[in-house]
Amino acid sequence: MTQLIQLIVNAIAVGAIYAVVALSFEIAYESTGVVNFATGQLVTIGALLGASTLAYSGVHFGGSALATQAASYAMVFGGMAIVGLLFFVGVFMPLRKQPALTVIIGTVAIGIAIQNLAQLTWGSLPIATQSPVGTRTLDFFGAVVSVHALYVIVVAAVLIAAVYVLLYRSALGAQFRALAQDPEAARLMGIRVNRLYALTWVLVCALAGAAGLLLGPMWFIDVGLGEGIGLKAFAAAIIGGFGSVPGAIVGGVLVGLAEILGASYISSAYKDAIVFALMFLFLLVRPQGLFGERVADRA
Amino acid sequence: MKATSLLGAAILGAALVAALAVPYVVSDYNLRVTVLALQSAIAVIGLTIAFGWCGLIQLGQAAFIGIGAYTSAILALRFGLGFWVTMPLAMAASALVAFVIAVPMLRLRGHYLALATVGFNVTAEIVAKNWTAVTGGYDGISAIPPVTLFGRVIETDLGYFHLSLVFLIAVAAFAWTLRHSRFGRAMIAVRDDEIASGTSSVPVVRTKVLAFVIGSALAGLSGALYAHYAHYVSPGDFELSRSITLLVMLIAGGEMAIAGAILGAVLLSFAPEWLRFVGEAYLVVFGVGVLLLLILMPEGVVGRLRKWFAPRAGKVGRA
Repeated sequence: MTQLIQLIVNAIAVGAIYAVVALSFEIAYESTGVVNFATGQLVTIGALLGASTLAYSGVHFGGSALATQAASYAMVFGGMAIVGLLFFVGVFMPLRKQPALTVIIGTVAIGIAIQNLAQLTWGSLPIATQSPVGTRTLDFFGAVVSVHALYVIVVAAVLIAAVYVLLYRSALGAQFRALAQDPEAARLMGIRVNRLYALTWVLVCALAGAAGLLLGPMWFIDVGLGEGIGLKAFAAAIIGGFGSVPGAIVGGVLVGLAEILGASYISSAYKDAIVFALMFLFLLVRPQGLFGERVADRA
Repeated sequence: MKATSLLGAAILGAALVAALAVPYVVSDYNLRVTVLALQSAIAVIGLTIAFGWCGLIQLGQAAFIGIGAYTSAILALRFGLGFWVTMPLAMAASALVAFVIAVPMLRLRGHYLALATVGFNVTAEIVAKNWTAVTGGYDGISAIPPVTLFGRVIETDLGYFHLSLVFLIAVAAFAWTLRHSRFGRAMIAVRDDEIASGTSSVPVVRTKVLAFVIGSALAGLSGALYAHYAHYVSPGDFELSRSITLLVMLIAGGEMAIAGAILGAVLLSFAPEWLRFVGEAYLVVFGVGVLLLLILMPEGVVGRLRKWFAPRAGKVGRA
């Protein structure tokens, strides 16, 4: 029983990270029409930048742990914003008139390049990094729960809530949703479409980077980290339903539970296959996912 | 009209002569790469049928190559069957799996299908790595017997070059016939407008399933040839990254054309050799190169050549 509590807390923490990544993936798709197969590699970059900037700011801004951590986070988000702008200029703009598959291959290609570039920069050895809340654990009805797992859940919840408010409760969000519905009409309504596209890519990369930051202290970081994360976030997006914030949350947590409970109680070798089996089941029975509304293609 | 078909025949003849001359001008190592390129080209033609003509986004082609390769290897080793028996059975196995997953998956469109085929490829990889009793797990299967033809064992690279070339020509001829049949026109119609073709009494679902199954069966053929040529198969050969390479071959050559599939397979098979000087940065150069190719030459090499030589044929290529 205590083991089960531990597993469930960990599963929800991992699931919360999948939810953030799924949200990044869905925002890219809904707002710009791009199925972003480089999402996982963006997570890797976030995790690696997190580890490096933490070490850097520990040396250069040596002071309180809080200041070090804040400086590291700020640098990661700054870095991810730059990556987002590069993505916008280098991948999205030149390919935006091409058919969907060409764009998919484009994002796959850039993902391959990013992963190799990360390997050349950071090497292929796994890197360990620290959590801002340290390695403490809590006793929770006899179960040992890491404080970092709880931290991940809280931060992910705040991030997702912030995205929800941004998309559904702000003027900017109305513009985002207008863009998702019909870019031409949005342009005619006086929305600065290109600026909004650029902002979308910054948001997409920042979310992926945040997921990497949260993931870093849980697992060792290596350059292949993001690949699996990206695939499971796609599964989460399908299970939860594309284009729905609650869907991303529920999908992410379901994938986290399937993976961690599946690994413990069914087979650790087949844990990823269990996740994909769940995804196929949804595609078969309920292709619009739990919260999704439409299955049809974008016009 | 007559001039173009004459030109076409001349190009085909020249290409055949050039292909037959290849083993005598390249090094032994490059001959091996060429054999693998010909075998990849068969899978890429399969992809041309499913994706290029019928519009089905297939990111799991490598899994079907793997199913073919493993089926042929297992049947040959466990039951002592010859290549000419195991090869059609390998194609049948790939086709059967494709058929089973096609029915639920082909109801999906666009990015859903892309993600589902990715999921299928990764799942197939996991099964190949962990179902040790049948697949040999991470170690794979070794000592796969060579192909025997008319009582003679094919052992040399030259022999496999000719064998693969004959299969490639047969597959290309089959694909060409398919493209110019009623079914070929149905595939194009489904790709261009599913609803309109449905109302014009084109059987949409049957066309899609058949295109997917044929494309996968050709991947199975490619895998069977590979298994008996390399004498060894392992899960690493059929990873998602190989599916992506196959799609890049398709797009580099020109996604609609058989000639493009072959040219793309050859170009991309040799790309690692040509780019050897960049060393560890190969995948950076590869990724950025593919991106530039998509931006600068989205119609592929053959598409571009076609535009140059026959300005008006550009439209026909897409239609």
